[in-house]
Amino acid sequence: MITVSEITKVYDDGKVKVQALRGIDLEIKKGEFTAIVGPSGSGKTTLLNIIGGLDTPTNGQVTIGETNIASLSENELIDFRLNHIGFVFQSYNLIPVLTAKENVEFLMLLQKKNETERNERTIKLLKAVGLEDQINKKPSKMSGGQQQRVAVARALASKPDFVLADEPTANLDSTSTANLLDIMLQLNEEENITFVFSTHDQRVINRAKRVITVEDGKILSDERK
Amino acid sequence: MLLKLAWRNIFRNKRRSLITVSSIIFAVVFAVFMRSLQFGAYGNMLKNIVGSYMGYIQVHQNGFWDEKTLDNSFSITEVEHLSKLKEVSYVSHRIEGFVLASIGDQSKPVALLGLNAEQEKEQIKLDAKVIEGEYISSINKGLLVGKGLKDIMKLKLGDTLVFLGQGYQGSIASGNYPIIGFIDLKTPELNKRTVILNLDQAQELFALPDMVTTAVIGLENDNWREAQASIISALDTSKIEVMNWQEMLPELKQLITVDKAGGSFVLLILYSIITFSLFGTVLMLTEERSFEYGVLIAIGMAKQKVILVALLETIFMAVVGIILGLIVAFPIVLYFNINPINLSGQMQEVVEKFGFEALIPTSLDPSIALTHAGIIFGIVLIVNIYTIVRIKNLKPVNAMRR
Repeated sequence: MITVSEITKVYDDGKVKVQALRGIDLEIKKGEFTAIVGPSGSGKTTLLNIIGGLDTPTNGQVTIGETNIASLSENELIDFRLNHIGFVFQSYNLIPVLTAKENVEFLMLLQKKNETERNERTIKLLKAVGLEDQINKKPSKMSGGQQQRVAVARALASKPDFVLADEPTANLDSTSTANLLDIMLQLNEEENITFVFSTHDQRVINRAKRVITVEDGKILSDERK
Repeated sequence: MLLKLAWRNIFRNKRRSLITVSSIIFAVVFAVFMRSLQFGAYGNMLKNIVGSYMGYIQVHQNGFWDEKTLDNSFSITEVEHLSKLKEVSYVSHRIEGFVLASIGDQSKPVALLGLNAEQEKEQIKLDAKVIEGEYISSINKGLLVGKGLKDIMKLKLGDTLVFLGQGYQGSIASGNYPIIGFIDLKTPELNKRTVILNLDQAQELFALPDMVTTAVIGLENDNWREAQASIISALDTSKIEVMNWQEMLPELKQLITVDKAGGSFVLLILYSIITFSLFGTVLMLTEERSFEYGVLIAIGMAKQKVILVALLETIFMAVVGIILGLIVAFPIVLYFNINPINLSGQMQEVVEKFGFEALIPTSLDPSIALTHAGIIFGIVLIVNIYTIVRIKNLKPVNAMRR
């Protein structure tokens, strides 16, 4: 379970202070399919970054399972992300010189998984996202939708506790968005994987099982469907 | 996978990688060739003056080097035991004196060198330096005259030179000897003033029975410092002085030191250019990849591993550049070793004025190539400090903001 308590975030460049988050309290349970929605600048990406340990809150704390991530050193936090959190980014952010298979396999290599396990899981995940015939293609030879599906497979490769996806459909057309959502929902339902999105894409919001609306750094509403 | 990642990254911007590798190749070729030429020139000077004439170490009566008079001679028996030292390959006895040489109405002061012709033939191949006539021996007695002196005095084979000078303890040294050969001592200064004859004839001329002025010590290897220490410990240094080539030829040592410093300065400029060129590449590469490094750290790759990938990329380029540079440099260095650069015109005059042969062969000493390969590799590592610091301080959330 992810517990967010009294999180505030102030960006201060020395001249101007911007309060991005103003006391967020939140709990996300295992297996949820949650969308954090709101307009640009509402603080949803900042919240997602803080949950993922990519950014630090000005006040408050984030607990994942039993771990208060603020208590981890930089290296421990990187290791924690590797083993507990999967990331899907708006611009896919695959490693351009690696093939789809190698991109998915990459995190398992960092986890020092053996070759057999790596191969089996890579093939399984690429099958799950419908790309079993594209395994040797590099990102530059794939469409945006295909790249984002590889990114989802990569996020799941390390067997994370949950996946954080920042605007995962922002660069995709309708068909690719629908395909991606189908895949993620299927993984959520069949493998009980927790997904947390930041989005303002109505197509994602429509299919999310829980929608948290953030505006001006505060939670406006939290609806479960 | 990290190796694969680093290797493939090289080909992401082929033109930049090509420029980087090319600059490393150029640096290696230039540095190795320049240093080989410089060290080859020193080697040639040492070979001509020291290795094949003076020897790396000489033994004299105390004071002889400062005052080259025959009165500072010593008995052969005092140094005979040196040939038993493990560092010593041979001991060659010589008499170095000065006489006035005359022929017809011409006279000229010359340096007369009496030596054991058979031994010098065997040890330093002195006979190979005879360019006209015959080499001297205990049977074939006569004079070998430097080719420069031959031209100055317009000498020819069969001419007789009359010597007049001072011998041991004020005795008169006089005699006449036929010229049986002309010799090229490879050093213009020596060629202009040297006349060689058999040791026993010189002893007789200067009234020095069983005595010599100089013992040239042949060494088993180039470690003359160790040999000098060993020789000193085997002699009574209150009577005998043991000098190495640097003490005997301080101007040569100084010339080499000054020239080396000049060469080092040129190399410093070259390496500065290379350092900035490589730093430019590393700077561009690091900034261009910051986003990607941020992503890698975000998804769970330890910063040390990200640094390793970044370093490996430039190390690969450096290794390829260095290897190709050495491959290109080797035939060039080899060619100029076999076909030394023959200085001509003013350069030749200047070099010969200093008493050196106007030939510059390159040195094939592998330590030159290894040293400069190492320096360039070191530069690559140093410029990568920027990458290391940049990645160490990288915050993924900032790096991923385009």
